[in-house]
Amino acid sequence: MNVLEAFGLKGQVAIVTGGGAGIGRGIAELFAQAGAAVVVSDLKKETADGVAEGIVAAGGRAIGVACDVTDAAARQALVDAAIAAFGKINVLVNNAGGGGPKPFDMPMDTFVWAYELNVFSIFHLTQLCAPHIAQAGGGAVLNISSMAGENKNQRMASYASSKAAANHLTRNIAFDLGPKGIRVNAIAPGAIKTAALASVLTPEVEKAMLKHTPLGRLGEARDIANAALFLCSPAAAWVSGQVLTVSGGGVQELD
Amino acid sequence: MAHDPYQILAHPFSLEGYAVIITGAGGAIGGATAHVLAQAGANVVVSDLNLENAEKVAAAVQKATGRETLAVRTDVTSETEQQALVDATLKKFGKITALINNVGWGEYTPLWDVSMDYMMKSYLLNTVSAYNLSKLCMPHLKKQENASITISGSAVGSTPSPEFISYSNAKAALLHMSKSIAMLSGPEVRCNAIVIGSVDNGEATLKAGYDEAMLKRLADAFVLKRRGTPFDIAYAFNYLLSPAAAWVTGIHLHVDGGGSYKSKMPTAD
Repeated sequence: MNVLEAFGLKGQVAIVTGGGAGIGRGIAELFAQAGAAVVVSDLKKETADGVAEGIVAAGGRAIGVACDVTDAAARQALVDAAIAAFGKINVLVNNAGGGGPKPFDMPMDTFVWAYELNVFSIFHLTQLCAPHIAQAGGGAVLNISSMAGENKNQRMASYASSKAAANHLTRNIAFDLGPKGIRVNAIAPGAIKTAALASVLTPEVEKAMLKHTPLGRLGEARDIANAALFLCSPAAAWVSGQVLTVSGGGVQELD
Repeated sequence: MAHDPYQILAHPFSLEGYAVIITGAGGAIGGATAHVLAQAGANVVVSDLNLENAEKVAAAVQKATGRETLAVRTDVTSETEQQALVDATLKKFGKITALINNVGWGEYTPLWDVSMDYMMKSYLLNTVSAYNLSKLCMPHLKKQENASITISGSAVGSTPSPEFISYSNAKAALLHMSKSIAMLSGPEVRCNAIVIGSVDNGEATLKAGYDEAMLKRLADAFVLKRRGTPFDIAYAFNYLLSPAAAWVTGIHLHVDGGGSYKSKMPTAD
């Protein structure tokens, strides 16, 4: 195996949830460049299709699928669509997720919602994909969590604890799926310059975030996509159960 | 956006134009790392206590990859020899883009059977040498794009390992040091560590006190049901040194088959 094969996904099929924008889009496009056929899933059909069409126009293979990852039937439909289009699944990237600061007095529904979106969805999708990945001869599951899973702050009870749960789910599922030849890892990104962050990012907030960031800049989607490609490729064949922090060395908190 | 993976991947994981020092590169992990990094485009300085081993690796890498290599005999516990390594690198390649503090050694010792002298020697070889070599390289690293220091940590340095008390303590200190270096070396220089699980590095493992039956039990205990190969570690170094990891510093990347075992020298029961 040469180095470029080691970091490639030639002939593989990857599902990327939340692949219509930001980090997920970066992952979908890089995986396609690395040789994978990509199932781009997004809440909005046209957003998923837009990314898939861009990949196809550039000579890659991709389809767009609308999927609300909090809906069990939609999760099953996503897996079915992947099999229908490409006949197998080698890699699942659970990137869809979200939330943010909520007051301590939030309704219980709001708290549960964070877990529906950031924890239950990735567990169930992993359950649904695991038999297919095993059948394809093994592969990788990658969960995109957040530095929030380690940080502590007020108003972060729902989001941060759900991301911490995602991290620990990763470490534990690795034991369940290791014997089936499926590696399970996570990336905990720091603050990434995406449209989602732009809504709250003022120059002052950015300056505060960078004060404790050794590498002196916020992240780009490609920083996460590159780490994702490493973790899902043969180069990381002996890596499982890991939460890889990609944060410029820092902790960028939204205060 | 083209879709030739070879063409595209030459970019984020490429080490074209890098000059990399690898200590302990005459051994299995260091040697495999030299091969992989050179394949990714780097020129490599193969440093080892045993010059013959260093020269063998350097020649093989150069032959296989066409990249420039330099073999240097270095006792990393000697400040003078460390300086000579840095000087030889600068003379040959004119720069240092990355330093891999890979050299290390530890063997089984009963918990209360370690002399102060032995303990100090373990720290000197496994920890202090990496500190000092990093210090000597730092001014040169700061002049390069995407420069980095990467440390070969060990699983014994991140979990209680009384079977290897001198080695595990020294490795734990080394891992802690990598985070401290990261905090004040950015944005110019990144510093990370790979926490390495049980790798099949041939005779070295047997010399450390393992026997074949023990190694079989160890492999079975890993999540991924095998011990690592030197190349499993080499690719992780490739990632951490490359532009793909340009926003990664201060991390401990565990490359350990998912880990899992408790005793480092598990018995049959």
